[in-house]
Amino acid sequence: MTIQQGTDPIHVPLSAPESEAVEERAAVPAPPRRKARAGFPWPVTVLLRLVVPAAILGGWYAASQGERSGLFVKDPLTSFERFVEEFLSGDASRFFLGDATFDHLFPSVGRALAGLGIAIVVGVVIGVLLGISPVLTALFQPLIHLGRSLPSPALLGVFFFLFGTGDSPKVFLIAFSVVWPILLNTIDGVSSIGQTRAQAAQVFRIPGRDVLTHIVLPGAAPKIFAGIRTSLSFSLILMIISELQKSENGLGYLLIQSQRTFDYAGFWAVLIVLVILGVLFNSIFLAIERRALAWHRGATQQND
Amino acid sequence: MTETRVTENPVPRAASPAAGSAELLLDGVSRSYGDNLAVRSISAEVPASKISVIVGPSGCGKSTLLRIISGLDEPTAGRVEFEGVPVKGVPEGLAMVFQDYSRSLFPWMRVDKNVAFPIKHLPAKERAERVRFAIEEVGLSGKEKLYPWQMSGGMQQRVAIARALASHPKLLLMDEPYASVDAQTRADLEDLLMRIQSELGITVLVVTHDIDESVYLADRIIVLSAPPSVVAEVIDVDLPRPRDHIATKTDPRFVEIRGHVTRLLRSKEHATPV
Repeated sequence: MTIQQGTDPIHVPLSAPESEAVEERAAVPAPPRRKARAGFPWPVTVLLRLVVPAAILGGWYAASQGERSGLFVKDPLTSFERFVEEFLSGDASRFFLGDATFDHLFPSVGRALAGLGIAIVVGVVIGVLLGISPVLTALFQPLIHLGRSLPSPALLGVFFFLFGTGDSPKVFLIAFSVVWPILLNTIDGVSSIGQTRAQAAQVFRIPGRDVLTHIVLPGAAPKIFAGIRTSLSFSLILMIISELQKSENGLGYLLIQSQRTFDYAGFWAVLIVLVILGVLFNSIFLAIERRALAWHRGATQQND
Repeated sequence: MTETRVTENPVPRAASPAAGSAELLLDGVSRSYGDNLAVRSISAEVPASKISVIVGPSGCGKSTLLRIISGLDEPTAGRVEFEGVPVKGVPEGLAMVFQDYSRSLFPWMRVDKNVAFPIKHLPAKERAERVRFAIEEVGLSGKEKLYPWQMSGGMQQRVAIARALASHPKLLLMDEPYASVDAQTRADLEDLLMRIQSELGITVLVVTHDIDESVYLADRIIVLSAPPSVVAEVIDVDLPRPRDHIATKTDPRFVEIRGHVTRLLRSKEHATPV
């Protein structure tokens, strides 16, 4: 029931092998931050990384020149100009951001983050409770699997009905949709803390509050972070979906509006924003994860 | 314990009860899981300020016994007394070192945090002093800011010992503490344990399946039989201290006691349980 990213499998720390090699490594205070990939010098690495994006841009341009596809695919340059025009500005007092950023991007991002925030709090709190108690897990397991397997966009109507037409139905839809990976991973992380660690906590008479904050949560953190990472990309998808109907602003609203008015440059400009947003969210998340789970990266590298 | 070396008797049996201060008393302790009897009517005394070792074949219920002594489990019959008080829950003044250091230490805390964690409730100054002392005792000064996983297994087990010492235990329980480290490290850690015990005068109870280790460390050996385990014999080891790996282990007395314990374990393995 673990949800894991294909790109970032969570390793379970194995017991360290007893050898001189480990003793040697003790002299190095921290493992090297990043190893050169496959031993290429860095200019080659940078070039290699640029190949695929360049090919995509080329494909995009080619499609925009096609007789049919050119009707709705605007070339990258036009789209980018449109993006700069709407989402950026020369006004330093507005942080060089344009009207569309304030009117559509920020409300969208705000709803996505609010939904994700609610999901993290609810997912971790309930996940810890269920992870600690096998009885509660057994009670709520069927409900969780039901909730998880519901295609949540189908519930959009229900959320409109329950919460009106403002921001709240959208925020709650996002929260409801992305809570599952966090919840399931938290349950899994908490219940796999291990007997020895639980026993150590008992023998040393660690008070319950400290067990929670210093043993249970840090121990489950690698899995919780893996869950949040999955939820992060879900929240962006759900952000768009929730704005396709009954919306007055947001990127999803812009997407649907530009399509309806045959403003394809505007449409592609929004897609550019979404790409930037996705990359930005992921980088920020990785930076946080890298700080919070430094010990885990080290521990797993050591045991590989 | 009084010296009870009798010439006719090659290996002295333990003196009768009430011969001095028993830190820990096991009186007819049994534990069964359903129909499965893990330990049967174990009675033994662990003398104060000495090293006692429980030795037995694997699966003889040593870990069950340790769980009962540490108050994590309750016996189905019999009683355990620690300093004359029946054990209910984990008693004050007890610390434990587990076999699996990589799982008992917390990989998200540095060495000093790991050692300080069980004494978090103490004032900062006393806590820092205890941590410094405990880390120095196990010879890890200067390694305080490492993470456990940056260290070798032997060093990690030293951290676990320091963590136990920091809580100023009267009784130190060790569950197969050196089963996961190599032979050389093991020998070093055995000597470390004996030095710390004599310096601090704490009561130590080690559980092991290693006969050599049991004779080398122990003032008293409690030999368990194959399951359902009973006490096969309690032996007071009269080898002089300080002990060392060359002199002690070539001492004819050491060889004699080791042979005796080995025979005990052998014969009990073949005996049919009642």
